[in-house]
Amino acid sequence: MSSVQGSKPAMNWRTISIYGGGLTALIVLFFVSLCYGEASIPLHVVWDALTGRQDSLEHNMVWDLRMPRTVIGILAGGALAVAGALLQTITRNPLAASDTLGINAGAYFVVVLGAIAFPGLLSQSPFIFAALGGLLAAFAAYFMGGGRTSSPVRLALSGMIVSMVLGSFTSALHIFFSMETQGLFLWGSGTLVQNDWSGVFYALPWVVGITLLALILSRQWDMLELDESTASSLGQKVTLARAVGLILAVLLAAVIVSVIGPIGFVGLVAPHLVRLSGVRSNRLLLPGVFIWGAALLVGADVLAKMVHNSSMELPTGAVMAIIGAPWLIWLVLTRMKAANGSGMSTSMSTGGAARRFAFGPMAVLFSVITVVLILLSTMFGGMRIPLADWLPSLFQSDGLFSALIQLRIPRTLVAAGAGAALAISGVLIQMAVRNPLADASIVGVSSGAGLGAMMVIILWPGLPIYLLPIAAIIGAAIAAVVVFSLAWKKGLNPSAVVLLGIAMSAIAGAGIQILIVRGAVYGSSGYIWLTGSTYARTWEQVRVIGLFLVILVPVAWWLARRFELLVFDDNSASGLGLGVRRTRLLAMTVGVLLAAGAVACVGTVGFIGLIAPHMVRLLTGNKLRRSMFLSALAGAVMLVLADTIGRTVMAPTEIPSGILIAIIGTPYFLYLMYRSNWRKSV
Amino acid sequence: MKKGLNGLLIMLAFVLVLAGCGKSTTTTDTSQGSDSGSAPAEETAGPVTVKHKRGELKLDKPAERVVTLEWTYTEDVVALGVQPVGNADNANYKVWVTSEAALDDSVTDIGTRSEPNLEAIAALKPDLIIANADNNTAVYDQLNAIAPTIEYDPYDGDGYDYDKMTEIFNNIATALGKEDKAKEVLSNLDQHYVEAKEKLAAAGKENFNFALTQAFTYQNAVSLRMFTDNSVVIGTLDKIGLVNDWQPDKVENYGFSTVGIESLTDVKDSNFIYITQPDDDVFGTAMKDNSVWNGLNFVKEKRTYQLDSTTWTFGGPISSKVLVDGVVEAITK
Repeated sequence: MSSVQGSKPAMNWRTISIYGGGLTALIVLFFVSLCYGEASIPLHVVWDALTGRQDSLEHNMVWDLRMPRTVIGILAGGALAVAGALLQTITRNPLAASDTLGINAGAYFVVVLGAIAFPGLLSQSPFIFAALGGLLAAFAAYFMGGGRTSSPVRLALSGMIVSMVLGSFTSALHIFFSMETQGLFLWGSGTLVQNDWSGVFYALPWVVGITLLALILSRQWDMLELDESTASSLGQKVTLARAVGLILAVLLAAVIVSVIGPIGFVGLVAPHLVRLSGVRSNRLLLPGVFIWGAALLVGADVLAKMVHNSSMELPTGAVMAIIGAPWLIWLVLTRMKAANGSGMSTSMSTGGAARRFAFGPMAVLFSVITVVLILLSTMFGGMRIPLADWLPSLFQSDGLFSALIQLRIPRTLVAAGAGAALAISGVLIQMAVRNPLADASIVGVSSGAGLGAMMVIILWPGLPIYLLPIAAIIGAAIAAVVVFSLAWKKGLNPSAVVLLGIAMSAIAGAGIQILIVRGAVYGSSGYIWLTGSTYARTWEQVRVIGLFLVILVPVAWWLARRFELLVFDDNSASGLGLGVRRTRLLAMTVGVLLAAGAVACVGTVGFIGLIAPHMVRLLTGNKLRRSMFLSALAGAVMLVLADTIGRTVMAPTEIPSGILIAIIGTPYFLYLMYRSNWRKSV
Repeated sequence: MKKGLNGLLIMLAFVLVLAGCGKSTTTTDTSQGSDSGSAPAEETAGPVTVKHKRGELKLDKPAERVVTLEWTYTEDVVALGVQPVGNADNANYKVWVTSEAALDDSVTDIGTRSEPNLEAIAALKPDLIIANADNNTAVYDQLNAIAPTIEYDPYDGDGYDYDKMTEIFNNIATALGKEDKAKEVLSNLDQHYVEAKEKLAAAGKENFNFALTQAFTYQNAVSLRMFTDNSVVIGTLDKIGLVNDWQPDKVENYGFSTVGIESLTDVKDSNFIYITQPDDDVFGTAMKDNSVWNGLNFVKEKRTYQLDSTTWTFGGPISSKVLVDGVVEAITK
């Protein structure tokens, strides 16, 4: 077993520098972190406290408030980085980490669930809940991503989607059970603030124990990096080592999530940073990774303290995303060559040849459903309007029922328009990147639009409301330009586009958090708007979304025709030269604009652009224009349904439509994803 | 992005709970609101003109069916002897706001303070809606289409101080045709301050220095809202001669600075008055064994004073009275 790696890796100068550099950085950051806080304590006092503690207020502050925070940062950063390194090795996937595989989100979700269902049990052993959730999420991501046949990108993508699903479930729990979750578990964005040493004492044995175990087993991990044929000759051992590695990684991530909440990107960045030095053997890699992970997180925390304002502190997780997301971009651009074109993307069809229904009847059916649903939607709400009163109320202009209908009509129309816009946007973006798993939210455009609009809401609250869609368009355009210009050299390779989009979403999300902290706006409608809300929409928004649709849908229609004429994949279409690329770029642009319009009206509603086209494709196949028409109706139906349910079931409290869409839509989407893998592997 | 959204949602949950947190409780003076509806003789019946953030609103007659979208205004209305027909988030109102400003069972819940349910409001057929610019300004036109709506902005740059509190209270009184009642409430309150001052003097606590906070757990760590001079609570305590020691460098729009334990060293020699929730007793449990907390002079010398969890810190006249009662009782005990 020992001959697999062949040699004891030499302690060359690069190894020494990566260790030395990491340790130096960590030590410096350790002191900076101790010096930085609300009360000003001079460096020499911090030094006195460290060298000879006395019972003074300053020394106590250094030891019992700042030190636990710094130490938990070291433990958490190190643990997440080791978990990331293990996951990257066992999945042979450079994009693996506890956050990209959904483990953090899973752990967090189950902890919140536990807070509601078994509050007593949870307070005793949050770790068990977190570990269980993390493991389930990892398995879900693994199987949805195609199990053994999964490509790195596909696995990362599946993990991201599992994260999004679980994230929306967690959000829903916070809304439905606000009382149970409010005081207990509010650390969802990841922060290192500690009251005392208890968090450290809780995490320390686990982190040290598991890390040591991983180190002792380091040769097993080396073995996993062998090429497939050699590894398979080792058979069982490989499988066992993979399973053990996965469990260790999940446990590490889970213990951290149960103390400080989900923090991303440490586990992704630190291992690559260390591998850059050429360190390969896990015996050397893992300690180096621990040091660099610790330095990264403590550094992020120092930055987070600096953004602190008098009302709240920036979550460390947000800073980590800003540091980490560019790394994801860099990884995609430099390390993804081998993975290009693998996995998905060759076909627009995830369901294979599905049942086909004739287009004509389907079109009629969809139209009827849409119209009926829009009308029905005006019947329901906090108060139901009986059928007998409904029709007259539509045309009266006074009376209670007609007042209710006056409130419901515009929001229903906005929901319908935004749903249609998102669905068409999804179709266009999927066409452009030839990727059935793309839409505006996946490629980062929705987040960019959200950031743009949020800037208007928070930084310049006095500005007129019509600037909102403009800001959303600018934000979306910037995000799209960044993502697509980076992906341009890769020929807009679908995998690259999606991963760059995820990185862009992370950056925009962190930007929004910074805005909120800097703006210190309480109770702003901005928060709710961001979750995707159809609350209190007026004729103004109807006009906005209507304008977008009227201008852009004909262009989309024309583009779909053009795509139908062009041959699909780049290889055979290359003879047509730039025409293909230009058409794809145009489709992209129109898709981005439509999504921006929808975000400006209803906030960042996700998934519709993914789900609606899938559903339609399953029913009618791949004819683009037909698919676009039906998708638009399906998208409208979805958001109208979400709006209606959201204002009805918990009345008078409203449930944001975006959350309902995620809850309704994602199981279906996961099913589709799973199904497509299953078919492929048969 | 989703991650960001989670953060936001959580923050939202936090904001919903805390933007309005504060409260005060006392258990006297039970039936402030019981005479709603039945018109006392003082009531004016003619047209009234109300000042609010967006100018003036004319009503043909004083409003009777009022919907309030922020608890401060709810409390003002209750203090005037009227029960609103609709209020935002009744359940949390009971948790946070003193029982001296209790709501009748007849008051309809119209949803959250940040997203009041427009349909529920319309269904009540109100003749006046009192909205808060901080949360409801985006839906003002829709509210105004349902019923005449007045809007106030307690946090328009320099905090919701005592003068602003009485100004809004008086405006609301005008809208309800209860100006005489408002005068009575405010003069009773002034009288109450005089009596409180006497009690303090008797106990040798004139010019009592203090720092007032509302504390809670946020992101698993202790978070403190330290009230500043431009808040209604500090303005109230100023009336009974107390001296606020928490003086931040900049003006806090919401009338408080949010800080952690470390910042308490700035006021360690003061007297520490705090409000916490029964299920989030940060100083009792989280800080009990903390060396920094225990090293603060006011902790060592046992000069910490806890107020009732329903001492509402963003309220109107009733809350001011309750706050004064609570503080006087706590520090003269």
